[in-house]
Amino acid sequence: MIAQEQKPMEEILGYLDGKQKVVVMGCGGCATFYHTGDKKAVNEMAEKLTKEGKEVFKIVLPFSFQACDIDKSGIWLEKNRKEIENRDAVLLMSCGDGVQIVADYIDEKMGIPKSVIPANDALGLVGGGPTKFKETCQSCGMCELGKTAGICPLTACGKGLMNGPCGGVRVGNKCEIDEEKDCAWVKIYERMEKLGELDKFIEMRDPHEWSKAKRPRLFEIENPVNIMTAGIGALPGFIRLVIGPKPKLEEEGKGE
Amino acid sequence: MGEKMGDEVYSDLMRELKEGKYVFTGELEPEKAGDVNEPIEMARELVGLVVACNVTDNPQSFAYVNSMAASYLIQKETGMECVYQLRCSDRNRMALLSDVLGAGALGLKNILALAGDHVSLGDTPDAKPVFDLDSTTLIAMIRKMVDEGKDLGGNEIHNPPKLHVGGAAAPGAAHLKAEVAKVKRKINVGVEYLQTQVVYYTDVLDKFFNELGKVDVPILVGIFPARTFGQANFFHENVAGVDVPPDYLEAMRKTKEIKDKEKRKEEVDRVNIEFFTGFLEHLKGTPAAGCHMMAVGYPRIIAPLKKVME
Repeated sequence: MIAQEQKPMEEILGYLDGKQKVVVMGCGGCATFYHTGDKKAVNEMAEKLTKEGKEVFKIVLPFSFQACDIDKSGIWLEKNRKEIENRDAVLLMSCGDGVQIVADYIDEKMGIPKSVIPANDALGLVGGGPTKFKETCQSCGMCELGKTAGICPLTACGKGLMNGPCGGVRVGNKCEIDEEKDCAWVKIYERMEKLGELDKFIEMRDPHEWSKAKRPRLFEIENPVNIMTAGIGALPGFIRLVIGPKPKLEEEGKGE
Repeated sequence: MGEKMGDEVYSDLMRELKEGKYVFTGELEPEKAGDVNEPIEMARELVGLVVACNVTDNPQSFAYVNSMAASYLIQKETGMECVYQLRCSDRNRMALLSDVLGAGALGLKNILALAGDHVSLGDTPDAKPVFDLDSTTLIAMIRKMVDEGKDLGGNEIHNPPKLHVGGAAAPGAAHLKAEVAKVKRKINVGVEYLQTQVVYYTDVLDKFFNELGKVDVPILVGIFPARTFGQANFFHENVAGVDVPPDYLEAMRKTKEIKDKEKRKEEVDRVNIEFFTGFLEHLKGTPAAGCHMMAVGYPRIIAPLKKVME
């Protein structure tokens, strides 16, 4: 998912300068996980803007309804057409995808040219949880993990080297640019050692093919996921998660 | 330091522009080679015909001899003043800054600051495109270095480089209003002269000047007399914003049928002189401060074309 944090209020107010009537819209996707676009965040933002003398209208998207998924968020936009029409700007509490997809929809599909302003800064594609996340993949279009024991050097190495480690590794195998972070290439070495693949380590890997990341990348799928089918399909998993027995993987492992 | 922006004159190109002379510049292209002998030979033929020559920096994103090295060697060997082309495609702001200092140290007096073609268009398409700065921010950075003696971080530069920075403009751009606004932005940050992308149609040029209105920065209009049909056709098919007229292309194509090499050369020259005479006559009536003759590898055409402007 996309990690994010809210922009400083002064910056947001700067963008809203001269815009009196504002729609504040949230996002039920990543921004809900990061509390930068859930119901509470939308309410708090509305409150702050009201204190600044703005007239605010709120649009909250339910959990799992992402601003960037226009098939769903479009329903809320259409439902609130009049409010959007009558406001000076939309403040979108999502990542940059949500901001642009919604702006495009309001402009092209609804025929309303309107400033759509970002409330958040997107910080990267991350995994992990529930409280700690890290950026491990940058969607470069040409996955190198098969060559590097499953650790992406383009993302995990500060220099994005394909053949590290560099000469700047600190004591404790930490990164040259951040002593809090591990050296990706020492990690790769240790993992290859564990997997008995150290012979791969001394092979030179070719420079990365950046042509696969030629921006902007556009995609098309033949069979889009149906909301209802997807929802019903996900239900058994949720039920098992709530009432089912906890997995006992550790014990099973010990028993062998 | 401390002078008002644009007061100092460091290059012959800028001197002639300030004097209000009608200026001609040429173009030299270093190649994929371990030397710059060919552009040096071309430069020798152009001495006295043009005030300065642009030295291309990885044109169309084909990786060739470094433009700074080529500019220095050409200037040293022939005395031809060079316009060192510098693109943002391949260097981050730190490399650009250090290259500008290097250019100053080598005695280069003109830089043409360009964003550059995307690396995917050339012969090294897997390269990581940089574009840390763009043409406008590069122009601003160079002005800051030259005028204030400061780098981007505000650090003092000892003995700042003494050179002029130019920029590009594309009269044939798909969206002329956006292009003109961008050109004005470059003017606002201190570009000292503009060289346009190649133009073939007089109405395209007129529309550009009309849209731009009166500006204080001298503009050199780019023309491209092609040495071969292949060159002209490459431009037509591969260069954005350049539309080569079908009549000219057809006349150039026909020259391929002439078997005798000398007669073919004569015919190519005749086609170019005939086509560009009309264009250059028209140019006299525009606000252009001169003409940038991008006749790469074709120095013999410059003298007859200059004659038209006399």
